[in-house]
Amino acid sequence: MRATLRKTIFFIAIILMAAAVPALSLASGAKPKAAPSAHPQLTDQEKLTPCAQCHKDATPDIYQEWYDSVHGIANVKCFQCHGTYENFRVEPNETNCAACHNKQYQKRPKGKKCWDCHPAHNFFVHK
Amino acid sequence: MGLSRREFLKRTAALTAASYVGMNLPISMEGEAQATDADSWHPGTCRLCGSGCRLELGVKDGRAVALRGISKSRTNFGYLCMKGMLFYKLMGDNHPDRLKKPLYRARKDQPFKEISWDEALDIAAREFANAVKKHGNDSVAYYGSGQALTEETYIFQKVMRGGLRTNNVEGNPRLCMASAVGGYITSFGADEPIGSYDNFERASCFFIIGSNTAEAHPVLFRRIMRRKMDHRDTVKVINADPRISPTSRIADLDLVFEPGTDLALLNAMAHVIVNEKLYDQDFINNYSTFRKGKDKKQVSFEEYRKFLEDYTPEKVAQLCRGNMTAEKIRTAARWFATSEGTMSIWTMGINQRIRGVWANNLIHNLHILTGQLCRPGADSFSLTGQPNACGGVREGGGLCHILPAHRLVKKDKLRHQVEKLWGIPEGRIPPKPGYHTVAMFEAVNQGKIKAIWINCTSPAQSLPNCDKYKKGMARDDVFMVVSDIFPTRTTELANLILPTAFIFEKTGVYGCTERRSQLTRKAVNAPGEAKPEVWMVREWALRLSRELNDPVIKKCVEPFMGKEPDYELPRSIWMEYTQKLTKGRDNDLSGATYEVLAKLPDGVQWPAPTEAFALKGGTDIKFVRGIDPLADKHAQNEMPYQFYGPAHPDRKLWIWLRPQKGPAEMPDEEYPFYLSTGRIIDHWHTSSMTGRVMELVRANPYAFVEINPKDAEKLGIKPNDMVEVVSRRGRNVLPAKVYVGPCEGMVFVYWHDMAEDRMINRVTKDAFDPGSKEPEFKICACRIKKVSGPKPLKPFIVEMS
Repeated sequence: MRATLRKTIFFIAIILMAAAVPALSLASGAKPKAAPSAHPQLTDQEKLTPCAQCHKDATPDIYQEWYDSVHGIANVKCFQCHGTYENFRVEPNETNCAACHNKQYQKRPKGKKCWDCHPAHNFFVHK
Repeated sequence: MGLSRREFLKRTAALTAASYVGMNLPISMEGEAQATDADSWHPGTCRLCGSGCRLELGVKDGRAVALRGISKSRTNFGYLCMKGMLFYKLMGDNHPDRLKKPLYRARKDQPFKEISWDEALDIAAREFANAVKKHGNDSVAYYGSGQALTEETYIFQKVMRGGLRTNNVEGNPRLCMASAVGGYITSFGADEPIGSYDNFERASCFFIIGSNTAEAHPVLFRRIMRRKMDHRDTVKVINADPRISPTSRIADLDLVFEPGTDLALLNAMAHVIVNEKLYDQDFINNYSTFRKGKDKKQVSFEEYRKFLEDYTPEKVAQLCRGNMTAEKIRTAARWFATSEGTMSIWTMGINQRIRGVWANNLIHNLHILTGQLCRPGADSFSLTGQPNACGGVREGGGLCHILPAHRLVKKDKLRHQVEKLWGIPEGRIPPKPGYHTVAMFEAVNQGKIKAIWINCTSPAQSLPNCDKYKKGMARDDVFMVVSDIFPTRTTELANLILPTAFIFEKTGVYGCTERRSQLTRKAVNAPGEAKPEVWMVREWALRLSRELNDPVIKKCVEPFMGKEPDYELPRSIWMEYTQKLTKGRDNDLSGATYEVLAKLPDGVQWPAPTEAFALKGGTDIKFVRGIDPLADKHAQNEMPYQFYGPAHPDRKLWIWLRPQKGPAEMPDEEYPFYLSTGRIIDHWHTSSMTGRVMELVRANPYAFVEINPKDAEKLGIKPNDMVEVVSRRGRNVLPAKVYVGPCEGMVFVYWHDMAEDRMINRVTKDAFDPGSKEPEFKICACRIKKVSGPKPLKPFIVEMS
């Protein structure tokens, strides 16, 4: 069962990564108008489940990294970076980082994304 | 693979009860603008909680599109919580639910119809005037909010007191921080904290009691977390609460106690400090006296020592139950007393108690005994829940017993000062304080109040035992005006609904927890015909003056005539308040003009008596010579600290002998559980705002009842089962969350939910502190029972039919 689950998670991850490609191209180029939806389809009722409730099991390593990070302790939740279903982004828009880290965002090295130096989900000060 | 999507979800998600049926969500998020689109950014203050985070609103083509923190602000250093990031979605035309036109119905069983502003203000004036003519001045009332701008509270109370000659001026801060006011005045002689947030970066010990800071004040919690993580071995965090919460994640020591045993715990810590001689004898000798009883009788240290004999750690640990041991109490007391700087932090767990003032006194006692005050990192610091409970209501005269700038109504001299400053006849303001909040709504129930204006708050949901008070609000002989931005449980009971402008849609000042006043200027237009309250009150007062043929009412708003409402009108009100009313008072803001406030990233901390001083940011530690200009001005000796607070003529801090006092209602055979309530991070107050932001709704779609696993096992309750929570007053049925969490014998319910079945204030108790008149929301007795397995649920917000 556990192995099947891991395969499923892997499969979902592949889908997510595939969906992330247009997100990446948007993030580096023109203004995004309609956010790409890369999340598996859910009913409106299912969407009332907090992200972490599923992802604690669906992506346990990522969940644990986040939980142990300063974002986890300070209760910075998944949707604050990734949005919710209608504006979901696998790779967040960096302006979401700037909501709290604008000074650092303005000073970031050219051509670098925030997570190039501050790994996503554990947010060490630098890689 | 072999797994369908649904199977995958079932296995991985531990689906909640909510996941079984579909429902339509009301809010479209298509075409949402992004922060990257903003073409201008406008500084202001967060609309939620009392932290006072400074932020910038991104605007594109006149529409609010994003919010981001201001790095230079000393309140938040650029950080925001999820609510602070997202409330731009409520501004202007961003949200379809915004109230846009005045709505009226003569009888409360009729549908509302749209009317013009002229009609609306005529009706409001006529109804209030008729009530005054037929039933007297005290038959009208104003019930305001710690979310209103200072200018709004000030002009409302001026018209009510100087114009309509009643002190029936109250506000929802009575429900959250009145006990803190009482505590500061009786312990330190002056309201509001001595120090500032910058003690977060200086403290070596944090004593957090009755506060889930991580969720109720997340951005301030981040500062405590950072301090702890950067000094893991040297900074200690004590978290004292009946419930393990996200705040516990940074705690070195969790003191879990049964609800209502907090006063004993605090006395036990004092017992350790006294018996182990951990006190600061010089500080006690120089700056304090010991007091007891209603007559404030001065007693000796020896008598205090004897009083504490009843509170040995062993005895109190047995009373507190939870995880308490005598050794934990000793450890907490030692860390508290011996750290280089100890900062206590509390909110509603302490304030919303039948003896909330006493509980505040007992925290202050620990600081006075150990000299943990007036120096870096040392402070006894009450956190406030609303963005302008301090600045607007506490300082601006928004409660029934206080006039602007900390003046007591009952003091003739102070009342006459105000009359003179307003240019109205002496004797115009009645000497008797008005109804406090619970008494006010009791008077509504009894039909003594015939016309009430409720601004920017929803007492139909936020009052304890709210069903009792909804009956009064529903009376057809009680004319009710409600001004707000969205429909609420209270607009449902109104005769007249007036649509107001939201923050950034109007101009004004918020004063946060640390005595800091900050300006927000209008940046976007309000939707439809929504108007700033200051305009409404001025126009209403002119009509009242005509209806009652009373030129003094007009006189109250005369200084504000002809001013355009978006900037000049609130500026003129602020100028009158600061230059006339606060001048020479302990919250002197005369240096904090709009022009000065606009120059600073994070406003000004009072006292700030001159512009030059205000431009430096004001006073970060009260009472300290060389820092606080009033400490220098009022100095009577060479001592470094000058406790000049107006309530203590001896200029001393008072250590109080306050005994343990349990809650008004204890569990018994019929109702064997304690019920407590509180906030969660994603929602705020009655969720009339956060319940309309999809990200926040999904993060926490409903209220839950949290149950300790041991209790759940005994009662056969599993996660997401539907559980009935019943008290002597009302009943809720909520999904269960089973975890630790609450201590055994206690359940905890989130209070934001508007759904009738999940509105926990239908169950809470309206007993109140006899001193502060603040209700004991935090404790009552209830019984719980599983009524079914998981059931589909819907988030709920009130909409206009």
